[in-house]
Amino acid sequence: METLFTNLALGFSVAFSFENLIFALLGAFIGTAIGVLPGIGPVATISLLLPITFGMSPTTAIIMLAGIYYGAQYGGSTTAILLNLPGEVSSVVTVIEGYKMARNGRAGAALCTAALGSFFAGSVATVVVAASGPLLTSVALSFGPADYFSLMFLGLIISAVLAQGSIVKGIGMVVLGVGLGLVGTDVQTGQQRFTFGVPELSDGVGFVAIAMGMFGIAEIILNLERPESRNVLTNKVGSLYLTREEFRRAVPSVLRGTVLGTVLGILPGGGASLSAFGSYMVERKVSKNRHLFGTGAIEGVAGPEAANNAAAQSSFIPLLTLGIPANAVMALMVGALIIQGIQPGPRMVEAQPDLFWGLICSMWVGNLMLLVINLPMIGMWVKLLEVPYRHLYPAIMVFCAIGIYSINNNVFDVYLMVLFGLFGYLCSKLKLEGAPLLIGFVLGPMMEEHLRRAMLLSRGDVMVFIERPISASMLAIAAIALLAMLLPGLRSGKEKAMAEGG
Amino acid sequence: MTGRLTRRAIAAGTLIAGASLLTAPRPLRAQGFPSGPIRLVVPFAPGGSTDLTARLVADGLGQRLGVPVVVENRPGAGATTGSQTVADAAPDGQTLVMSNIASHAISPALYGNLRYDPVRSFTHIAMVITNPSVWVVNPRSEIANLADLVRAAKAKPGGLDMASSGAGSSNHLLLVRFSELAGIEHTHIPFRGAGPAMTAVIAGQVPMMSDSLPSAAAHIRQGSVRAIAISSAQRHPAFPDVPTFREQGFDLSSTSWFALSGPAGMPAPVVERLHRETMAVIASPESRQRFAELGGTPGDMTPAQFTTFVAEEVARWAPVVRASGATPAS
Repeated sequence: METLFTNLALGFSVAFSFENLIFALLGAFIGTAIGVLPGIGPVATISLLLPITFGMSPTTAIIMLAGIYYGAQYGGSTTAILLNLPGEVSSVVTVIEGYKMARNGRAGAALCTAALGSFFAGSVATVVVAASGPLLTSVALSFGPADYFSLMFLGLIISAVLAQGSIVKGIGMVVLGVGLGLVGTDVQTGQQRFTFGVPELSDGVGFVAIAMGMFGIAEIILNLERPESRNVLTNKVGSLYLTREEFRRAVPSVLRGTVLGTVLGILPGGGASLSAFGSYMVERKVSKNRHLFGTGAIEGVAGPEAANNAAAQSSFIPLLTLGIPANAVMALMVGALIIQGIQPGPRMVEAQPDLFWGLICSMWVGNLMLLVINLPMIGMWVKLLEVPYRHLYPAIMVFCAIGIYSINNNVFDVYLMVLFGLFGYLCSKLKLEGAPLLIGFVLGPMMEEHLRRAMLLSRGDVMVFIERPISASMLAIAAIALLAMLLPGLRSGKEKAMAEGG
Repeated sequence: MTGRLTRRAIAAGTLIAGASLLTAPRPLRAQGFPSGPIRLVVPFAPGGSTDLTARLVADGLGQRLGVPVVVENRPGAGATTGSQTVADAAPDGQTLVMSNIASHAISPALYGNLRYDPVRSFTHIAMVITNPSVWVVNPRSEIANLADLVRAAKAKPGGLDMASSGAGSSNHLLLVRFSELAGIEHTHIPFRGAGPAMTAVIAGQVPMMSDSLPSAAAHIRQGSVRAIAISSAQRHPAFPDVPTFREQGFDLSSTSWFALSGPAGMPAPVVERLHRETMAVIASPESRQRFAELGGTPGDMTPAQFTTFVAEEVARWAPVVRASGATPAS
């Protein structure tokens, strides 16, 4: 414990140096700005800024890049809440309740919850990383392909609960999402699947194209169709900050989200993207106000936002202890470190203690910066809603088009987004939910990959899923969830609850 | 009035003097090149080794040419999407591609419907860096060399599990070539990139992996995996303890490579200028140091040698791709 304090003291002395503070602030600011612009992600920004970091000290460079990463995550929630535009996997869930809150005139409260929840979760996860990072590595390594498959299978089963209303429609959308996820090059054989000879599809359908189309573009079409609803958003701005009641409701959700996110974030590959979904499912089941879900429940913003940020922090554990990046942003950071002559991995703690502990402490500093930048800006963001819709929606469309184009520098993705916009409009007419589709789209291909890898390694023996304790317990929980959903008594109970709520 | 005239005259005089100073010592200077910012297309997503190498080169080239060299990532279809864009561009030296073993040697065999010819649709300018493959095992594994690996493969039905960063990657194809040569079977376990595959080896889920030296170097140095063979012709100076395939009795050598190419039909002076400046960039001490850290060897080929090299690579990999079962998309 004493060494932990000495280490943290060393870390804070590094993180609080004037230069590092400035670059943490700069990173968080740039990150927020690009996060707010739909589609322009941290990967593109960090790769653009990479050459600039060659001239900096490695610690400063990584602190700035990390700031961009957190900033982008937070900025992404802002557009998700205000404009129904999820730019990345984690903010899809924020859209569900966050945008409803904004329509109810509680945009300020939703943004405030996201900022405070993220800061709290980030602080807790930072301490966890500092105290037990190296120990938790063994958790990450104990997950084999069979265990990942069962974890994601559990996720998919429970995600049917996400659907509001008909379970059949929910499952239908999940299956459709899984189907869309299969488009592209097969990981096992290199074979092209469902690409119909279109070269642009050989790497699959883009997540951002689906998410922005299904949510953002479809919402614009719906709003234009109903002149009366166009003004709803702009007239009701309401109080900017949380009421006492809202605060009380958000606290337990933030706590649950923090725990869930910290644990799932440790798993490389998929852990972090599961965390927000997972937290939303948990809140829907256990929160006291579960009947309010679907109408703008603050728990549905607080939990997932906390989980998402906690996972973003704890996903540094595999990077710092194994040298294995959990996602594309982390891969860029490894690249930046290697160019600076630093090898991320277990030896980094001993070889570069100032970098290791400085980075950990700067995570917390970065979260603080985000709070400092964003709390005063909530008023400004909410003012955005007062812009007349006839000016606002063309601007959103333009930013969406620029954003989606900039991901692969490819016009095809813009057409794809338009297509999914029309499809999303059709879906809302048919009362089909977009979120289960996206969950299926994200989890389906990962599940397939792990299933086939597990089967390859076991030479086709399915017992591998039952013999491994982690996998067996996940499957058992999934079976219970499935039974509970299919039992007629419980099912009608769910429908009654839905009817009360909606 | 006079004042203004004089000022203009001085300005013009300075310009002329400056221009002649610039041109005089460089008779080979290409006419009108570079005429503006140069696009360097990277046919992979940001963050990979191609992207990192390209950004190092773009930084140095930009300083030497006096115009910005902008890296543009156009990933997709085994690096062929971005390469196609450059094959279709005007051959004025303003659009270049970071050509590599995937886009210009393996994908032509893998993708049946390619519109470009890896040799004839491009002007090959300069080899930038070559990286050997390295085979690694879990440090607790009993496999210490290739002979042990062959023995273990023969003992297991279906052969040994062997991981790589993906089906059709140069590292996967090396597994195919080796298995053929050694007369063994293997079960290929492909991953989505080198990172997850490395995790599986460290965790002991897969006994071995064929990886590129740059991505495996850190793990070998810190002892989380053990290297049993390197695919270059000679041992690597940074890893003098790792024996080559040849030393262990297997006549195999293979290196992945990253290089600079442009559209077919570029003017010779432009090619020469770009070749010279690229060579200067990779010869600078800081580039050498960075390449050494990445585990690569700086390239050393004339444009003509490099063009012949690409043709040889295409011929070398086509039969291996067919043998691997990684099916071409038609």
